[in-house]
Order: sequence, then structure tokens, then C-alpha cells
Amino acid sequence: MNRGMTGKAADENRSLATRSGIRPAALKRSQYTLSLLAEGQRTGLLDSRDVSGVQHQFLLLLHNLIRRHTQGESSSVTTETAEGLLASAMYAVDAYLWSMQDPEKAIACLKTTDIVTLHAEGVEHVRQRLEETKRLYHKVKTQKLDVPVDAYNTTIDESLPIFIKKYNILFDARNTMASIDYPLAVDDMSLQGVFYIKQYLEHLRLENQFCRQWEREDVLRLLKNLGRVCKFDFRIELFNIFELVFQHALFSVLAGGDARSILMTPYQYERLERMFTDAGASTVGTMIDKAIDRLLEQLPAQEPGTKPYMKTCCRDLVRRIVNAAENRQLQAVILTNREEAVKPFVLTLDTEDRMSDVRLRRLLDDIMRSESKEEKVRIIREHFSSLHDVLDLLESDCLYGDEYEALYAELGDMDLAILCKIVFYEELRGAFVDLHDVIQEKQEAERDWQNRLIAFLKRLDDSRIRAIDEWIGNIDYEQLHFY
Amino acid sequence: MNSLSRLFASLSASTQERHMIELLELNEKTGRFGLTLAPDDIKQVMAARDETLRHYGRLELGIEATKEMIEAFAESPYITQDHFASTLQELHEIFYDLKNETEDKIGDAKLIGIMKDYFDNECAGSLELLRSKLEAFAAEFRIEAMQSEQLGEGEDDE
Repeated sequence: MNRGMTGKAADENRSLATRSGIRPAALKRSQYTLSLLAEGQRTGLLDSRDVSGVQHQFLLLLHNLIRRHTQGESSSVTTETAEGLLASAMYAVDAYLWSMQDPEKAIACLKTTDIVTLHAEGVEHVRQRLEETKRLYHKVKTQKLDVPVDAYNTTIDESLPIFIKKYNILFDARNTMASIDYPLAVDDMSLQGVFYIKQYLEHLRLENQFCRQWEREDVLRLLKNLGRVCKFDFRIELFNIFELVFQHALFSVLAGGDARSILMTPYQYERLERMFTDAGASTVGTMIDKAIDRLLEQLPAQEPGTKPYMKTCCRDLVRRIVNAAENRQLQAVILTNREEAVKPFVLTLDTEDRMSDVRLRRLLDDIMRSESKEEKVRIIREHFSSLHDVLDLLESDCLYGDEYEALYAELGDMDLAILCKIVFYEELRGAFVDLHDVIQEKQEAERDWQNRLIAFLKRLDDSRIRAIDEWIGNIDYEQLHFY
Repeated sequence: MNSLSRLFASLSASTQERHMIELLELNEKTGRFGLTLAPDDIKQVMAARDETLRHYGRLELGIEATKEMIEAFAESPYITQDHFASTLQELHEIFYDLKNETEDKIGDAKLIGIMKDYFDNECAGSLELLRSKLEAFAAEFRIEAMQSEQLGEGEDDE
């Protein structure tokens, strides 16, 4: 995540500085009024009486706020409460003076306008930003990505509504008061209160809009690839989805592919590996810059501000690529798309796990009566855990045509290895037999499910066949002797 | 907190002078009960009050509570002119302690009323007894407040 960018605010700050003699570095966004007082005094725009006057007026304002906070029932509060009230008052005045976009004008305002008036203007300014934030939230909510990432969903569905509900403009405006877990690709954490949440939502909206250009299945596959490579459950981890999608769209462009394809083939990976190996940071930076331009040519309909956002997001990417290339660990940055090695649907070989005949018949009946292959596969996944039951199912001929393929697609490498061992028992005898050759040479088998399996296996890529082959060499077939 | 400290430093002498005048004006009311505060008494009471506020981590920019306490306790039959200023100093300490112990959930006027009631009746003018009675009162108040909060949460859940 990039925290350095303050976007428009930073640009504004820079341009303000060029118009005035005040040191831009001395003006802090988070303590704007105090820094204006200090700079105003240093440059002679304010004298000590002006500064004392402002301070005294802040005290009167605080006195008034204490009364309002206690609803007139108490004239004293704890120091913490007083600090919070004063911080909230200053936040509002800061907001108003910052909105002038001109420090000299803001200093003149401090000199001529009383703090109570500036505070009232500031509160109104903050209120308007809160209303904008609410509207922005509703847009983000309606355009939310359908992804099973807990931090992303919780932040949008729970944390942001808490902020909107509890944000207190008058007494606690500086407080961001929400636990925002989902990390953005670019986030200015120096902001506070409603300005932070507004910025967060603006960035999140841009990220969502960008990611919605890809098929949900592709995004999910990319997330799964991330989980596989990082060996974690992506659903409960903290990472940025936009960064992942955007970077893989860039990689696709760099590998000569389409920006709309974010799933890297091993061939594309090898090509990228050749490009990045031994390339220095500046070369990689140039490659990335050009790739961004090409990506935007291919996907021209982007939200305003997307390109600078991408550029900021890429600062970290260049460094990561260079480091990974040096350490020969690019596979951790460029995720290649691979079928999952072992699916959750893992069969047991133990005969003790077989279901009763009555239950098996009932389930076979349910499968026969199911109208879609998806439903059939769902029943099998949910109720069949023993290899022996699955073989009974296959032998029962209750599946037809592509329903076999749908079932095989759900099986892990180990399960397919067992079925291969059964179907190609004779052919696989001998230590140096290659499964790939066996599959390609096999013309016809006895049963329909076996022929469907052979056809399915012939369509798998070499790496998957190699993985299945490895399993064939590692499985204990003692319990399969009766087949 | 730096900004707050800086602001405090700007509290002008004129404000203190204004407070002095406001408290001297109260002598007209309290004089009916034979009680008055001389400027030096007021300085002592205010210094003790400032120290108490600091000690209990509280902030008060006006002197409303002080004025309310002076007016209320001047009516007490147990306070004499000799002990008026020193009693007020102790009452300030009890008051701000009680504000903290009741977690700011009771307003100034009500709290001063409770103190006065205990002082004039059960405590018969004893500050020691007042402290101990109010300690028990605060503990009971917190338990009741907690129970009513839990009840409120339960209703919210339903």
C-alpha cells in the first residue's frame, strides 16, 4: 500500500506555496490553523496580539462547547473530554481555512474574523463533506465486488456504516471512529475524520470500478492463485484486490497479451521472467509506464484519476519486481494460473468409510432425478467421500455425457491418480512408464465412465498430468487390489 | 496536550480579575447569612480550586460551579464565617472528585444539591463524614448506572 500520495491535496499545497511567501513544508494539513498562526507570525502577517486573540477566542469557543456537550448541566469536564472538544473545534476551523486554498487569505481571515464564526463555517463545511461521503458510500455499496474476502466485505458492510452513523461533527469530528481493515492500494493515512473516510471511499470506488471490468470468475481464480502461491486462505487475509488485478492486467500486456486477461499462462510467465531478469529498476519502471499506457489504450473507459492512481500504485511494484527477479522469486509476484493441485473433494480409500447400500441407492436415485449436472455434482461432493462409493456410482451408469466431465473436473490430482491406476492398470505396470503417453495411446476402454475419463485426461495440460503421475507413484494401492 | 496548554497560557489577567469581581458580588447574597469572602479568601479558594482541577484531571473555564457552591452552602447552618473559605476549598475537592466518580453523569446543580443535603442532614456539617457518605453514594450510583446500561443493551438486542 502506498501512503505517500495526498493526491489533489498535495498538488493544491504545492500550488499554494508558489503563490505565497509562506513555507509550504511548515503548513500541516492536520494542524492547519496552528501552523498558519506560526507561519503568520514568522512572516509578520500576524503579530503576537493577533495570535493571543485567536487563542483566547478558542478558549471561549471551548467554554461554549463544554456547555453544549454537557447540555448546560456541567461547567467542567475531564481533561480528555476537553482535549477532544478542542481538537474537534480546531478540525472544523482547519477544514474551513484549508478549503480557501490560499494560506495568505486564511491568515487574513484569522486576523479579521472571529473564531466562533470560522468554527460555524467549518462545521457546515464538514457537514457537507459528510453528506458527500454518505452519497459516495451508497455508490460504493451498490458497485461492491462479489468476492469472498472478509476484510473487504466487513469494511463495506459493517465498518463504514458505523462511521456514517456515529460520526459526530460538533464534538468529535477528528475521530475516524471506525475500524477500517481492508487496505487500499493508495491511502493517505495522515487525513482524519470525515476527510479520511471520504478519501478512502473515493479510492475504493475507483478500485471497484476498475476491477469490475473483469469477469468475476477470473478475479476469483486470481485470488485462488494468490492463496496457493502464498499458502494462505485469501478469504481471511489482508491484501488489496485492485493491486492484484491491475498488476496482472499489466503483466498480461507486457507479455504481449490482452489487458482483459489477468490469468497468466506458464508461457507468459516465462516471457516475463526473461524480460525482468537482469533488468534494473529504471528499465522495469519504463516497461511498467509503457504497459500502463497500453493498458489504458485497451481499456479506455476509466474513471478520472485512474492513471495517476495506477502510477502511484506502481512505485512499489517496480521495487518488488526487481527484488523478486534478483532472488529468482518472480512466481510470488506474477501468479501463473494453474488448476488446483488437490481439490477439497478428497476421497478416502478405507472400505470402512463406505456408506450403507440403502443410503447409496437413495443417493443414486436422487442423482438420477436431478435435472442439472451441477446439481448432480453437488450431491456427489456433499455425500460421497469414499472412493469405493464413487466407483459404485460410476459403475451404476447414472451419469450421462458431460456429467462425467463435470465430476472429474471437481476431483483433485490424487483422486484422478487413483482412477487412472484403475483404468490403466495394465499399461502402468513398470517403473518407467509415462502417464501422458499411456493416456494418448489409449483408444477405448470397457466402460462409459472410463472412456469419458480418458477423453477428460487427454484435454488436461502437461503439468497437470505430471502432477497426477507423481501421485500414481506415491499412492498405496493395497486397498485397491480387488479392482 | 500542547495546544491546550498553549491556550491556557493565554488566559489573561483580565479573566482572573473578572472572576474576582463576580465572586465579590456574591457577598451581597451570602452576607444575608453572615458569610462573606475577602479578596484574599477568594484568591485562596480559586488557587485551591485550580489545584483540585489539575489533581483530578478536569478542566473548567468558567466559575459557575464555584458560584453555585458558594450560594448553596452559604445557607447551611453549619458553616461559620471563620471556616467559610477553608470549607469552600474542601467542598471543591469533594465536588470534583465526585464528578469523576459519578463519571460526569450528574449535572453540577444536582450534585451540589446532593452534597448540601448530606452535609446539612446526615453529616451534620462534618466534611469527613460527607466524604465517606459521598464515596458510598458514588459506588452505588455506578452500579445502578451499569445495570441500567446493561438493561438498555438487552432491550436494544431484542
